[in-house]
This record gives sequence, structure tokens and C-alpha cells, in this order.
Amino acid sequence: MMVPFSSNCVRLSAREWGVVIVIVAALFCLGPLFWELAEKFEPGPDYRLPYELSNDYWLYKRYCRWACSRNKTLVIGDSVIWGHYVPKDNTLSHYLNEITGRDQFANLGVDGIHPVALAGLLRYYGKDISDKNIILHFNPLWLSSRKHDLQIEKEFHFDHPKLAPQFFPNIPCYKASYSKRLSAVIGRIVPFASFPSHLNKTYFDSMDLSAWTIEHPYACPERSRGDVPKFEIPRPVGAPDIAKRDFEWVALETSFQWRFFQRSVEMLRERENRVFVLVGPFNEHILQGQSIDTYRKTKSQIETWLKQNNVSYYVPEVLPSQLYRDASHPVSKGYAVLAKKLFENDSFRKLVIGNGAAGQSNGARQQRAE
Amino acid sequence: MYFHTWPFVLFFLIVYSIYLVLKETRFRLLFSLAASYFFYACFNPLYLILIAYSTLLDYVAIAKMEKNRHRKVWLCISIINNLGLLCFFKYGGFITDNINVLLASLGVPYAVPAPSVLLPVGISFYTFQSMSYVIDYYRGNIEREKSFIKYATYICFFPRLVAGPIERAENLLPQLHSLPKVSIQDVTDGLSLFIVGFFKKVALADYLALYVDKVYAAPQQFQSPALVLATFLFSWQIYFDFSGYTDMARGLARMMGLRLMLNFNNPYLATSLADFWQRWHISLSSWFKDYVYIPLGGNRKGMFTTYRNMFLTMVASGLWHGAAWTFVIWGTVHALGRFLTRELERTTFYKEKVPKLIKQLFVFVFVAFAWIFFRAENISDAGVIVTKIFNSGLTNPYCPLLALVLILAVWLYQFAYESKVKWVLELRAVRVGIVVLMILYLAIFAPSSEQPFIYSQF
Repeated sequence: MMVPFSSNCVRLSAREWGVVIVIVAALFCLGPLFWELAEKFEPGPDYRLPYELSNDYWLYKRYCRWACSRNKTLVIGDSVIWGHYVPKDNTLSHYLNEITGRDQFANLGVDGIHPVALAGLLRYYGKDISDKNIILHFNPLWLSSRKHDLQIEKEFHFDHPKLAPQFFPNIPCYKASYSKRLSAVIGRIVPFASFPSHLNKTYFDSMDLSAWTIEHPYACPERSRGDVPKFEIPRPVGAPDIAKRDFEWVALETSFQWRFFQRSVEMLRERENRVFVLVGPFNEHILQGQSIDTYRKTKSQIETWLKQNNVSYYVPEVLPSQLYRDASHPVSKGYAVLAKKLFENDSFRKLVIGNGAAGQSNGARQQRAE
Repeated sequence: MYFHTWPFVLFFLIVYSIYLVLKETRFRLLFSLAASYFFYACFNPLYLILIAYSTLLDYVAIAKMEKNRHRKVWLCISIINNLGLLCFFKYGGFITDNINVLLASLGVPYAVPAPSVLLPVGISFYTFQSMSYVIDYYRGNIEREKSFIKYATYICFFPRLVAGPIERAENLLPQLHSLPKVSIQDVTDGLSLFIVGFFKKVALADYLALYVDKVYAAPQQFQSPALVLATFLFSWQIYFDFSGYTDMARGLARMMGLRLMLNFNNPYLATSLADFWQRWHISLSSWFKDYVYIPLGGNRKGMFTTYRNMFLTMVASGLWHGAAWTFVIWGTVHALGRFLTRELERTTFYKEKVPKLIKQLFVFVFVAFAWIFFRAENISDAGVIVTKIFNSGLTNPYCPLLALVLILAVWLYQFAYESKVKWVLELRAVRVGIVVLMILYLAIFAPSSEQPFIYSQF
């Protein structure tokens, strides 16, 4: 019985499919490169990834490449490094640059990121970070509860889920459908996949084209003027969140976030970077009861691991309470004080001036070889 | 696990790889059946019990008929069983609701409890396919399929399980009998069909749904232009959604060396309502023609009987789509349309004097109007929409221009396909260019939604 093929002419032979694959592959490879040429990206001093583009990983990758070609030291971490409550010229990297008198430090902090996601970010989008000085921040806040540590069973929507492990190890509170998980995995593996997301986030208000045209039925994408838009949304104002409380600290050996932080350290060192870990400074003034002792014990365990693994680090003393905006974010003056304190640390000075940095890197290499 | 989701892609890649290894062995059908049951169980494992029961009963019914014992009784048992399943799972709530309304209006202080069961995905499709097989066997049109595995694979072959096409045994069963020959051309043809269907579903249907859903969710809040445009977009949405599914289903089957029937043939180019039903959901239209309209007498017993049969067939077709009065009205509107246009379409004036484009436009407008009843949440909403379309102000509809441009592009393509310039569309550069554009559009702009197929809910 003859069955009509179709009601259109789209019927390709094997050779024609081959042509399609070649054209599409070429466009997938070259399209983003040409887009980079067309879309101006001039970050300038004290640049940080715009808040609204925090999950534009294509832009992060581009910024990484730019920072690696220009800055000697990259400051990597979460919103504490990004500077959640301060303008871009009041962040830690800014004050570090101020002390050195040159544009040496780049702010590669990402608002909303946590160690689990950071490991994914560095693995898939931070491949250009190699042979650099790295100041990697660890925020003890991520150990302050089972929820922060992503260990609770009840579903909750944490930031940057696409960077987290999708299948293994299992994150109990992450309940995305298999389709979304697979989509996230493919998005990370296929280099082109983050490019449409960049277009959506940059030009379509973080929507896809379809949803955007429903909101703006007669408009052309407003921002397509050849520049990456420089979003800078005002930070929330209000009473600081500094009430005293008891934290239910997660044991370091079972912590999910800590395990992924360790992976980030290892990954960066494998890429021949000289890693310096900054722990805190956590706002200990808000701790009460048993919480203080547990925190100090955890802090000392962190130090032990860093020492054992030959990682340079600094655990600054707690800042005066008025220099905190909440449990972990300093205010502007807090960042200035922290920058000064960092330069009082020998290991840090050695790292940024250059003496001994190579030695640490060689030491790490030797350790891995063993 | 719908075709346009990553889990399905993964499922198909695994199943297809194994299928290619097994295709020339006796395990191929057993494997196809297992894969199909796994696919169906992904929606809800309990559905398996139902489809296995339905398959087994019809298989037994035919085995009994073969022995010439009480052939009619077994036919009735099979039909009653299939319709009973449909009634219980699909129409149970609708029937009890209406009985309760009737009891309340009569002052009877009793309410029949509504069955709280989940509608099994694709039940309307596989029960109709099974019924067609039993009826065809009863009529002596086909041989009995002795292998239960083959018969069960015919019923639940996964590419067509969720939303058809409703395949006739005479088309699919012989293909299951012979060893499938999967040529490179089959694979490339299958990919061609799949990519077109994927584009229709993800880039077009799901996009149009954004506007349609917004307007139809609260029609009171919109004025005539928005309601007209939402109805226009829905007409295309349902076409892209359903024909997109069918294209993907046919593409998947083709890659497995099997040919499923054409289910849509550019229906919005129809020049009459009769023509429309020969182009829209062809497998269902022909099912109703062969198993309802013709057994009722067709057009052989005078005008009154013809119209009565047309009416009953269309209303039954409406009810097949869903358990609500809106679907009954949709079927009735189409029946009335056929009454009003049947004689007109036979006149020389209509055939020769009316330009083709005008006929197509007329059919499209009528079909689009009928879709209001199909899409509206309830009769009251349908009434509001119809009233407001003809009797409300002209306000800005805020309908995305891109949607209209995409529809225009598709319409122009189809129009060219059925015109003298079809050769342009057959040029290699045009075909390759269209596929490249579709892939790029899907990769860059397509929404990341996972909306189910509209017809999978029937």
C-alpha cells in the first residue's frame, strides 16, 4: 500500500542532511564568534557581572577570557566577592586594586552563586582560568543550615540550578524533571547552548523570544544596539539583617557545599593556578549559644584541610559588627578593612607580588604527582 | 515523555540502537512491544493494565470469532467493552455531572458519585484502532492475527500510541509481519518528517498557545480584535500541534522501517467542508466514515437519512474529542455547516465561478469559527466570545506580529505547495535552506516549554 510521504517538500537525502549538518555546525561554531565581534564588551575597571545577568554563563565565559588576558589575579566567589550591598567601586577587588595602585584584581564574583554551583561554573565556563593567581572565597554561611547546604528533602528553588549536578550526586531538594536535568547537562556540554541563553537574558528580559513578543507584541528587541547592556540594579535598602540567632551548622565532613568547594580548589590547581583561599569573614557577632563553638570548630577544620593540602589561605578575624550588613556581607568600609588585612598576610603578599607563587604551584603539582 | 522532550530523545536513541540490532531477528517485535509498554508506563504505570486488558480482550474476541461461534456476540462484547472503557474513563465525569443536573432539576435529593479516575493518555486512539480491527475481521476484510505479540504491537506501537494516527490493520499489520528494511533513505526521510513536526510543535504551536491561552482563560477581559486573533491563532495552533505530533510519529516509525498513514494534508487549503474533512485528521475522519456513517446508511437512503447520518457522525466525532457540551456543539456546528454548504458546493456557480482563494477563505473562516466551541473552557465562555466578537469595541489586541508573520510564511508555503510554483519548493537549495532555518530557529529562539500535545488529552 503506497503511503503518501508528506504534505510538504521537506524531504532530504543523506547527502543533503550532510550539507545541513555542515552548515549548522559551522553556524553554531562561528555564530557566537561573530556575535562577539559585533557586540561590544568593554568592561572597564571594577567591572562585575551585571546582577541581572548573573546566570548568563556565556557572558561569564567571555568575561573570564577578558579578565585572564588582562588581570594577574582573579577574585572568585559568591555575592560577598561580587559586593551584594555595595556599588562596584566599593568591592573587595576594588580596594585591593587601590592598595596596589594598579588594575591587578578582577572581580569574578557572581551574585547568588554557592560552592556547588561555583564548581559547575568553573568546570564548564571557567576553562580559560589557568596559570593565574586566584583568590577563592569560601563563605561559611553555606554551612549554616541543612537548607543552605542543599541537604533538605523538601523541594526549594536554589540559585543556579543548571550548574549543580543533575543526577549524581543526588541533591535531595532538587526536584527538576528529567527533561530539565537532561537539558541542563546538554546545555553545559554543547558550547553553543549558552549563547541563546545570553541573547534571551541580554535582549529579551531573560525571556525567550516567544514570551518576549507576547509582552512586547510590536517591538524590536530594544537593547540590540551593539553593546552588552550594563545593568546595575539598586541594592535593597532597609534595616540590616543582623539579629542574633542560633545556626544549625552542618558537619564539615558531611557538607555538600564544602565537598564542592574542595573540588573547585582542586580543579583550579589542576589548571596550574595559584590558589589562595579566603575564609569569611563571617559575622560572628550574630552567633549565640552553642552556635559560636560549632562555628569555630568548623573553621579550624577548614584550616586543617587547607594546611594539609598545601593551600595558601587566610581566615581573617571578625570585623567590627558595624562593618557587616548581614551574616556574611561586609559594607563598603568592611571591604576596605578586609583588603588592608589581606595585604598584612604574608602568604597573600607573596602570591600577589609573585614570590613563592610558582613554588606553591609546583608544590601542588608535586603533591598531585605523588 | 512527549516526543519534544529530552527524555524521549534519550529513550529513542537507546531503543532505536537496539532495534537496529534486533530488526532481523524474531525478538524485534517483542522488543518493540516492551519499548512501547515502557513508553506508555512513563505516563503512568497503571495505564498498562488498561491497555493490556483491552488488547487481550479483543484478541480473544477475534480468536472466538474465528471458530465461527457466536460471531456477533463476540463483536458486541468487544465493542461494548471498548466503548465501556471509553465511557468510564473519558465520559464518566461528564455523564454523572449531567445526570446530577437532571436529578437536581427534578428535585431528587440524590447525586450520583462521579468516578475520580485519571484519563489514560491516548485511550481514544487505541480503543478506536482496536475496534476497527475487530470490525474489519468480523466483516471479513482482514485475516486474524494469530501472534499476540504482533497484535499487541499493532495496538500500542509507541510512535502512534499517544495521538494516532488511528492505523488500520490492513496497513500496519502486514508491515509488522515482514522483516523491516531500514534503508538510509528511511532514516533521512524519518528525520525530515521529525524535524518538520518538531518545528511545528515547539516553534509554532507552543508559541501561539501563549497568546491563545491568555485570551481564552478570561475572554470577558478582551474585545473583538483580540478574540478574533486568538481564535485565528488557535486554528493554527491546533493544526501545528496535532499535525506536528503526527509528523514526528510518522518520522519515528519511518526510521524503524514502518510507514504510517498521512493524517493531515494542508487542511486550511480546503475548498469545501467535505474537502476539509478529507485533509484534517484523515485517520479519524475515515474511521467515522467507515464505521459510523456508512453503516448508518451513508447517502444511499435519501436526503433526510443522509443529513441525519451526517449529523450523527459529526456529533459523535465531536464527542470523541472530549467529554463536554462544547465538543458536542463543535460537532453540531460542523454538521450544520455541511448541511448548508453541501448543495451549494454542488452548483456549477460555486464550482466554476467562485475563485479558489475565496472558497479557501470561506472554509477557513467557518472552521475557525467552529474552533471557538472546541477551545472555550465552557459553553458560557464560548457564548461570551461569539457575542463579543460581533458586539464589542475595537481595542488594541496586543497580538505579537511575529506570530502572524510565521503563520503567513507557513500559509504561503502551503499555498505554493499546491500551486504551479511547487517546483521552487522542490529545489535542493530551498529544501536545505528551510531545514537549516528551522534548526537555527529551534536552537536559538524556541521556547523551552514542555507543553503536552493537545490531542494526547483526547
